[in-house]
Amino acid sequence: MSWFAEVWEKFYKAFLEKDRYLAFLKGFATTLEVSFFAVILGVALGVILAIAKYMAANHKGCRPLGWIANIYITIIRGTPVYVQMLIIYYLILTARGIPAIISGVLCFGINSSAYVAEIIRAGIEAVDRGQMEAGRSLGLSEMRTMKSIIMPQAVRNILPALGNEFIVLIKETAVIGGITVLDVTKVAMNVGNSNYAYLTPLLIAAFMYLAVVIILTKLLSMFERRLAKSDRR
Amino acid sequence: MIDVKNLHKSFGDKLVLDGIDEHIEKGEKVVVIGPSGSGKSTFLRCMNLLERPTEGSIIFEGKDITAASGKELNRIRQKMGMVFQHFNLFPHLTIRKNITLAPVKLGLMSQEEADAKAMELLSRVGLPEKADQYPAQLSGGQKQRIAIVRSLAMNPDVMLFDEPTSALDPEMVREVLDFMKQLAEDGMTMVVVTHEMGFAREVGSRVLFMDEGRIVEQNEPGEFFACPKDVRLKEFLSKVL
Ligand SMILES: Nc1ncnc2c1ncn2[C@@H]1O[C@H](COP(=O)(O)OP(=O)(O)OP(=O)(O)O)[C@@H](O)[C@H]1O
Ligand SMILES: [Mg+2]
Repeated sequence: MSWFAEVWEKFYKAFLEKDRYLAFLKGFATTLEVSFFAVILGVALGVILAIAKYMAANHKGCRPLGWIANIYITIIRGTPVYVQMLIIYYLILTARGIPAIISGVLCFGINSSAYVAEIIRAGIEAVDRGQMEAGRSLGLSEMRTMKSIIMPQAVRNILPALGNEFIVLIKETAVIGGITVLDVTKVAMNVGNSNYAYLTPLLIAAFMYLAVVIILTKLLSMFERRLAKSDRR
Repeated sequence: MIDVKNLHKSFGDKLVLDGIDEHIEKGEKVVVIGPSGSGKSTFLRCMNLLERPTEGSIIFEGKDITAASGKELNRIRQKMGMVFQHFNLFPHLTIRKNITLAPVKLGLMSQEEADAKAMELLSRVGLPEKADQYPAQLSGGQKQRIAIVRSLAMNPDVMLFDEPTSALDPEMVREVLDFMKQLAEDGMTMVVVTHEMGFAREVGSRVLFMDEGRIVEQNEPGEFFACPKDVRLKEFLSKVL
């Protein structure tokens, strides 16, 4: 058999035989789904965290909020995601009949929130201090200045970084098979198990990750360039 | 209008204002000069409580505002316009929005009223055609005139200027000073930190010299520049004149 035919045969077995490509695509859809909802949850929790940290830094009375936020972040960053995922899975699943994918979204969402909070803090910090002073000196409240003046500018710094966080999550969720979720990596492993050949299905999974990461990175830099252009208006 | 009593301000253990007593009358144009780091900006920023005094009090229109906070503080600041060295226009908003944001959000005017006021003020500085442009499209001198207009839209009782022309190219200083002079002639109460001695002489009703957190000498401008008494003021004037 020629080299090419051999490769084709392996590819055929791993991807086309028994409509396995459907399983791959479904697995990849699951990967994207988990990442997407995790990023949404991460943003929701990250906003709360960022507000807590902002209040703690700017108002003496709110210091305890900052401590709570810091403990939360320390725990998240100080323990492996995989262990967190297993803990959440057994915590939720053994108690109720909730699908494993929910545990996955919860885990990666909580994890992401620590990074999102940091992204938001940095985005706000990058807005010139003079903007807050100008707003306050006009008699606007701190809240109103934040809402009408600081945040619209901060969002321009924050959005691209959130896109990046989504891309990071797509790769990080590859361990989610550990709690029985059929993501693309788990599908590749299953195919490997039934063929006794792991390399080809794993390469296929890797290629799918790579393709989407490259596409999303491109889209993101286009988006950033458009933002930069509207900045110069 | 503004009474400053025994004002002290420290940042950490660095004493920046070391006991300032000053009274600013309605309609006065007080010019503050002094070397870099002498506390001019801090003095100005204490008046509208952008900085909290460490000791002493600020009395504005008969009321002690030193401990004001929340809504009360916001109401006081509406009456004290402030103009910054770096303009601090809102880059994401059009000029019109820059001017109308505060009066509208604070419920002082409807959007239509505010728009009309903005156009009137813009015509006054000769920039009505800029209403729908963004700050990035303007020159420094135009930006600073718009920043002054933004403050004026709130109908303040007093205007505080912190080196309004220091960040400008020389050829743009004139247009900003001319507008400030107009304001002065219209009777606005003004406190101006500046290095423009010509402006101090021409427009000031009183000139204060600050050094190391104190007002070392003050006088009406003629006398102030003609026969300065303090050694440090003499030295300072010999450098800037
Ligand atoms: N937020 C702050 N934190 C710490 N130190 C400060 C702060 N603001 C001002 N200072 C210090 O206080 C001193 C007086 O500053 P201020 O800005 O009032 O001086 P200034 O007379 O306006 O000087 P310049 O002509 O350079 O603007 C300086 O030594 C400055 O470093
Ligand atoms: Mg200064």
